[in-house]
Amino acid sequence: MVERETALDLLRTMWRIRCFEERVATLHHRLQVHGLVHLSIGSEGVAAGVCRRLRDDDAVYSGHRAHGHALAKGAPMDRVMAELMGRSAGLCQGLGGSMHLVDTQHGLMGATGVVGGNLPMAAGDALAARLRGEDRVTVVFFGDGAVQAGHFNETVNLAALWELPLIFVCENNGMAEFTPRSAHTKVARVIDVVAPYDFERRLIEGSDVGAVWTAFGEYLEQARSGTGPFLLECSTHRRSGHYEGDQQSYRDALADAEWAQLDPIARLEARGKDEGWLDDEAAAGLTAHADAEVDAAVRFARDSPPLSADDAAALVYAT
Amino acid sequence: MATAELSDDRLIWMFTQMLRIRDFEERVKRTFEDHPGVIRGHTHLADGAEASIVGSLATLKDSDQLLTTYRCHGYPITLGTDTKAMMAEIYGRQDGLCGGYGGSMHLCDPGRGFLGTSGIVGQGIPHATGVGFAAQLRKQGQVVLCFFGDGASKQGAFHESLNLASLWKLPVVYIMENNGYNVATHSEQEDANAANGEPLSVKAKAYSMPGVTVDGTDPLAVYEIVSEAVARARDGHGPTLVESKVYRLSAHGNLIAPPGVPLHYPEHEAITVFGNREEYEAALRGDPVPRFRARLVEQGTLDAARADAIAQEVTEEMDAAVQFGLDSPFPEPAAATNFVYA
Amino acid sequence: MAREIPYIAAVNEAIAQEMARDDTVVFYGQDVAPSDEDPLVKSFGRDRVRVSPISETAEIGMAVGLALAGYRPIVELLMAEFMLVAMNQVTNEAPRLRYMSGGQVKVPLVLKAGYGFTAGWAGQHTGSIYTMFAGVPGLKVVLPSTPADAKGLMAAAVRDDNPVVYLMHYLLVLEHGDVPEGEHVVPIGEAAIRRPGNDVTIVATGWTVGKALQAAEALAAEGVDAEVIDPRSLQPLDMPAILSSVEKTGHLVLADQATRHASAASIIAAEVAEHGFGYLKAPIKLVTALDATIPYSEPMEAFVLPDEHKIAGAVREVLGTASAVA
Repeated sequence: MVERETALDLLRTMWRIRCFEERVATLHHRLQVHGLVHLSIGSEGVAAGVCRRLRDDDAVYSGHRAHGHALAKGAPMDRVMAELMGRSAGLCQGLGGSMHLVDTQHGLMGATGVVGGNLPMAAGDALAARLRGEDRVTVVFFGDGAVQAGHFNETVNLAALWELPLIFVCENNGMAEFTPRSAHTKVARVIDVVAPYDFERRLIEGSDVGAVWTAFGEYLEQARSGTGPFLLECSTHRRSGHYEGDQQSYRDALADAEWAQLDPIARLEARGKDEGWLDDEAAAGLTAHADAEVDAAVRFARDSPPLSADDAAALVYAT
Repeated sequence: MATAELSDDRLIWMFTQMLRIRDFEERVKRTFEDHPGVIRGHTHLADGAEASIVGSLATLKDSDQLLTTYRCHGYPITLGTDTKAMMAEIYGRQDGLCGGYGGSMHLCDPGRGFLGTSGIVGQGIPHATGVGFAAQLRKQGQVVLCFFGDGASKQGAFHESLNLASLWKLPVVYIMENNGYNVATHSEQEDANAANGEPLSVKAKAYSMPGVTVDGTDPLAVYEIVSEAVARARDGHGPTLVESKVYRLSAHGNLIAPPGVPLHYPEHEAITVFGNREEYEAALRGDPVPRFRARLVEQGTLDAARADAIAQEVTEEMDAAVQFGLDSPFPEPAAATNFVYA
Repeated sequence: MAREIPYIAAVNEAIAQEMARDDTVVFYGQDVAPSDEDPLVKSFGRDRVRVSPISETAEIGMAVGLALAGYRPIVELLMAEFMLVAMNQVTNEAPRLRYMSGGQVKVPLVLKAGYGFTAGWAGQHTGSIYTMFAGVPGLKVVLPSTPADAKGLMAAAVRDDNPVVYLMHYLLVLEHGDVPEGEHVVPIGEAAIRRPGNDVTIVATGWTVGKALQAAEALAAEGVDAEVIDPRSLQPLDMPAILSSVEKTGHLVLADQATRHASAASIIAAEVAEHGFGYLKAPIKLVTALDATIPYSEPMEAFVLPDEHKIAGAVREVLGTASAVA
């Protein structure tokens, strides 16, 4: 199983994401983060378990629910917050916002707002790694809703045909926007959708960050040696709505007890206490530390002005 | 066995349709030589796929519907569309099936259930799925056949459509006519399943849908499999993916060239691109049309004299179709702006 | 050294030369070199020359990924309409990523497609749909009309750090012309004056450039001296060249194979109306395809398309000489 140091790092990462996103929700209500914002509260285990395995030169392609992936991959929290607040110090100088986080220094290569639009891009990136003979790996995150879109199948066929070093990571939260998976397809498990292509695939519980870490690690090792593709399907639970402001009339609230069962942070903390590597004080310390980092990130963002119109216009074409 | 119920007359009808398709396609091909400049643009022939087309369409009732690819001449011929109007369309004439607006790639005969084609690979699949949805809503037991090529299964539209059809149990039979080539590319070069040596019907697994592969050069085998799929669809149990394996006996289409360059049919890509004449000649030896004739003669369904008489009738029909097409006037140029909007 | 070769050969020469010059250039698409005996495969290997399935969304989306990772892919799309299947990747991903990332990434890729094949290809393979792309900030659109430009604009497109829609005209593929043998790069965004003149400016793109030149010859016999300008790219659009010509001639006719309401002509007319109104001695005249799907049958096809007679007629109208000639 996961070593203590690793477990602590995963827990710290998940708290950073959780505290960041809870603050984003607050800031969004106060109109300081504007536009469409999608939170991943409840799914931090996947972001942490996957991205903490990766090197800076491994590429991650994410989508509209990307905060966790960005932070876990190493994007500085203050610049992510500045991006969400539309400031020039943001990762993308405030031109992308929540749905389009990019941090090339840390291998966060793209996040697209169109469901599944990142899938073929990630395959192209993996092809680039193959052409150069690099041992870096490409990971693409997507939700179960993307699986019913044509580009999913086009990409899977090509990745399988060309045996690209690409790891598909599906965060299956059972909901595509506002409707359950059963309204989208007869095929409940995403791993069954790629069955015709017969590459390695596995379904795990995304709220068990240790399981994510271990399963992803096995695929990563193989992908590094140049084989692929792989599909890791992580069942997750979307604690928050599809987007901030979503009335969520489509579902019943889960009881707190059920929620705790599905919460990756609560699960790992319980295990840490069982195994004796975490006590209440240490857990509270992790939360406080994450909160303090968020405070600093918000201050950093507020100190940064928005980009000037001229500077923005200069970015339309590369010169 | 569905085929056991086929009467001798029905078997002879099937053979006749195969022969009509073949003769029609040969006339199209010959027009490039006999009447240069009469056919413009791009034509695509179904020679080699006659058994698949006729075996599939023989399962249908009058109220059933189908949509196809741009390699579309064989379907309306089987449904009874006037070959004169078809040839006139391919010649761009006023009496054409679509008034000269569509040409070879865009034939359409809604009155006979042939709702048309798409000239863009794979894009007719969602159309057929929608027609299936309409049939389900109408509740009159209609079934829709959706024809497409193996290349189309790499289009996103294939994936999206089959998922929805399976989820909503739409009465659609998806018939993938796999002729082994995307224009000049082998399936194995562009399809992960083909590269693994698997039948392409395995793709149905992804949609929790039955998938079956059939020898598309045997009209009775096709009839058997498609009958089952049609019955399943009619009974409300949803779609099936049928892979019908055929070999296209002509090149993908006629030469592509700007105006002024004489058009013609080049040799098959097996020869022109891969230098593999043996593959092509083996396919010719398995030509489904003479094979079916021999089978019917051998089992006593048809005697040689009757078969020759049918061939003679078909020849006369196609002579007339060509002549009708040549004699038909061109449309009024200004008619070009009709039909842009309903 | 220049020598005469056809347009299509010029395109292919540019691709081969760019692949030889820069090993990050990769070329793939439907029916690109399915045979291992293909000369491009022999020169550059199977890694860089690939045949891909009929999956435009994946083919173009992968080009975006390759570009993000430092390659310069050229995707063969055969027909401009096939890009419509992948419109999200073409118009909503490739051209926007650089901007939304605050300049961190660039997406150098070439989407190579044929267009305008009004040779009996009916409604779905004949369109001149370039304004669907030219209207998207971040995309560049080039429309070579000569063999030399076909080569030079391909080289420029490959070297450009932005996604470029490279539209080759199918009616021109066998046209011969002088093409430099070695490196030849035509800067994107510079119009060419195909025929200097003083009385009227005719702006034409792609296949209509030749039609405009024919019209200009006919008009010359009537004593009308027409200037023919070929913008060569629609995004960026060389408006200074067009405006300075209009300033000189005072008359403007726009020839375009696209349907009127989606034509480059309508965009140029708007720009001239705003920035060059004072130069105009008569209203602008557009000679475009009619707003209809291209019909299959030849007489109807000819009816909807612009041609040299319609262009010359429009010139006579703007010059007020129509009745004299008629």
